[in-house]
Amino acid sequence: MKILLIEDDVETADYIAQGLTEEGHVLRSFADGRDGLFSIKGEEWDLVIVDRMVPGMDGLNVVKALRCAKVKTPVLFLTALGGVGDRVNGLNAGGDDYLVKPFAFAELVARVNALGRRSHTIAAETVLRVGDLEMNLLNRAVTRNTVPIPLQPREFRLLEYLMRHAGKIVTRTMLLEHVWDFHFDPKTSVVETHISRLRAKLNRDEAPELIHTMRGAGYSLHAPS
Amino acid sequence: MRLPRFLRTTSFRLTLLYAGLFCASVLLLFGAIFWFGTGYVADQIDRSVSNEISEISAHAAVEGPDGFRQTVALYVKDAPAGVYYLLQDVSGRVLAGNIPAMDPIMGLRSWPRRKDGGNFPVGRHGVRGRGVSTAEGTYLFVGLDSVELDRMRALIAKAFLWGLAATIALALLGGTVMSLGLLRRVEAISQTSRRIVAGDLNRRIPMHGTNDEFDHLAASLNTMLDRIQGLMEGLQQVSSDIAHDLRTPLSRLRQRLELARRRAHSVDELHDALDSSILDVNAILETFAALLRIAQIEAHTHAVGLAPIDLSDMLGGMIDTYQSVAEERGQKLCGEIAPGLTISGDRELLPQLFSNLIENAMRHCAEGTTIVLRAACAATGIEVLVSDNGPGIPAALREKVFQRFFRLEHSRTTEGTGLGLTLARAIASLHGATMQLSDNQPGLRVQTIFPGEK
Repeated sequence: MKILLIEDDVETADYIAQGLTEEGHVLRSFADGRDGLFSIKGEEWDLVIVDRMVPGMDGLNVVKALRCAKVKTPVLFLTALGGVGDRVNGLNAGGDDYLVKPFAFAELVARVNALGRRSHTIAAETVLRVGDLEMNLLNRAVTRNTVPIPLQPREFRLLEYLMRHAGKIVTRTMLLEHVWDFHFDPKTSVVETHISRLRAKLNRDEAPELIHTMRGAGYSLHAPS
Repeated sequence: MRLPRFLRTTSFRLTLLYAGLFCASVLLLFGAIFWFGTGYVADQIDRSVSNEISEISAHAAVEGPDGFRQTVALYVKDAPAGVYYLLQDVSGRVLAGNIPAMDPIMGLRSWPRRKDGGNFPVGRHGVRGRGVSTAEGTYLFVGLDSVELDRMRALIAKAFLWGLAATIALALLGGTVMSLGLLRRVEAISQTSRRIVAGDLNRRIPMHGTNDEFDHLAASLNTMLDRIQGLMEGLQQVSSDIAHDLRTPLSRLRQRLELARRRAHSVDELHDALDSSILDVNAILETFAALLRIAQIEAHTHAVGLAPIDLSDMLGGMIDTYQSVAEERGQKLCGEIAPGLTISGDRELLPQLFSNLIENAMRHCAEGTTIVLRAACAATGIEVLVSDNGPGIPAALREKVFQRFFRLEHSRTTEGTGLGLTLARAIASLHGATMQLSDNQPGLRVQTIFPGEK
C-alpha cells in the first residue's frame, strides 16, 4: 500500500516508517500538517496516517480539509491524547480509525491492513464466505459445510467482523472496539473466552480450525490451506 | 496621613452616609416644627391684635366723634407692658398712643427683635401688629410684643442644634462601635487566611456560635478550606503513590534488563527478556493511561457530551459479554435488569464503569461465587447494583478502596492497577451518580444511583 504519514516526532515517524516498509508498504512521511495535506491532494494514496498534534496544521483540521475536498482516502489517527471524547472528535472529523500512543506495532500493522482499500469494497455484500464457512447477512444465518450453526448475537458480530477481515490479522483491541464497543482494556479474558466459544461452535465434527491465533498480535480467520 | 483603620472601613463609610441622612431628616423635622410652632404663636398674636382693634372700634363708635382718640388714650392708660397703640392723623401727627408715629401702612406689620434696640423704639422685643384706617380717616395701629414668638424661635433653634449634635455624636459613636465589631470579625478571617498562606493549613476561622451572617461566612469558608485541604492531601497522596507504585515495576524492569544483559547467552533468551520487559512497560503505561483518564474524567464538567442511553440494553450487553467469562472462571453471573431504563450518559465511559465493577467482583472472588447485576428504578433515581457473595470488604475500608492505588491486603498479589474503582467512581460522578459499597451478607454490594432521565 502507498501510505502517507504525517507525524512530527522524528523517532516515532522512523519507527512507523521502518516497520511499515518492512511489511511491504510504501511510505512517505511529513512533519508538517500543511505539507502533508498538500501532498495528499496532489497524489493518489491508499491510506493516510495522521498524528493529532502536528505543527503547521492540526491533524484534525487536516482530515476535515481532506473530507471537504471529497478525498475519500482512509485515515488513521494517531494520538497521545486518548482523552474522553477525543476519539469521537477524531472519527467525527472524518477519520476511519483511531490509535492511541503508545501502541504495539502489531496493533498498527493490523489496523493499517484493515483500513486498506480492498476491505471497503465488500461492505455491500450480503453473503460472506471463507472456505466452507458462509454467513448470510440478510437472514443472519451461518453455515459451515451447509450445516447451520446457531450463534448468539454477540458471536454473530464477532464472526462477521472476522470474516470481513478474512485473511488479515485483527487485534484484541480491534475486536473490543468493533464487536463490544469497549474502548478500554478489560482485565478479564473477554475476547479469548468468546473466541474459544465461537471456535467450539465452528469446529464441530473435527472440522479444521478457521480462527487462528497469531501470537502477540491477534486473530486471523482464513480457510485451511 | 493614614486614617485609623476603622475609619477606612466600609461600615464606617456607611455610618457616615447614614449620619448625613439622619442630619437631613433632623433638619426637616425641626424645620416643620419651627414652621408650624411659630405659625401658631403668630396666629395667636394676630388674633389678639384683631380683637383689640375690634374692641377699640366698637368703643369709639359709642363715644361718638373723636371717639377713637379718647378710646385709644383710655386704652394706653391701662395698657399692660408689651401692648402698643398708636393713633395718628393723615399728616402723621400722633393723636394718642404709646409709640412714636410711623408710616401708615395697612395690614399686618412686624418688626424683628433687635439686640441694639432697633429702629422700633419701644424696646428690645420684636413687635407684631396690624394697621387699619378708622372711620374718621385716621390711622390706627395696635401691636403686641412678640416675645413669645422670639422665645419659641430661639428654643426651637437651640433644640435643633442640640438634637443635631446628639445625632451626629450618636451616629459616629455607633458607627465606630459597629465598625470596630465588624472589623474584629473580618480581622479574624483575614488573620486566619494569612496563617493558612503562611503554611498553617489546619487553621480554621473561629465561629461565634451566634449563627449570624459572619458565622455563616466562616462556616462556608471553613468547608471550602476543608475541601481544598482534602484535595491537596489527595494530590500529595497521589503523587507519592504514583512514585511509589511505579518504582516497583520500574525497578523490576531494570533488574530484568540487567540480568538479561549479564546472563543471556542466546538471541532467543534475549528476545524472551525483551518480551517480558515490553510487558512490564505496558503495565506501567497502562497505569499512566488510567491515571490520565481519571484526571481527565474528574476535570470534566458534568453533563458534557452526555446523551440519552438505553441502560437496560447496555447492561444486557454486559451480562451477555461477561456471562461466559464468569463461567470460564467457575463463577456465575446473573442479571435482573428492568426493561426501558434510560439515563443520560457517555456511551464510551459507561461500559467501562460496569465492566470495572463486574470484573472486580470476578477477580476478587473465588470459584463458585455468584455475581448478580441488578438495575431498577428507585425513589432516588435509577439504581444499579453489582453484588457478589465473595469475601467482601471490611466496613472501615469501604471508602478507602476508592482511593488511587489502594489495594486490599489479600488482593495485592492479583494483577491490576489499583485504579479500577477510582475510575468507576470518577465516571459515576461525571454522570451525577453516587457510588457506595455495602455489605451483601456475605460479600460486597456496589450500589450506583444515577439521576433519572429528565
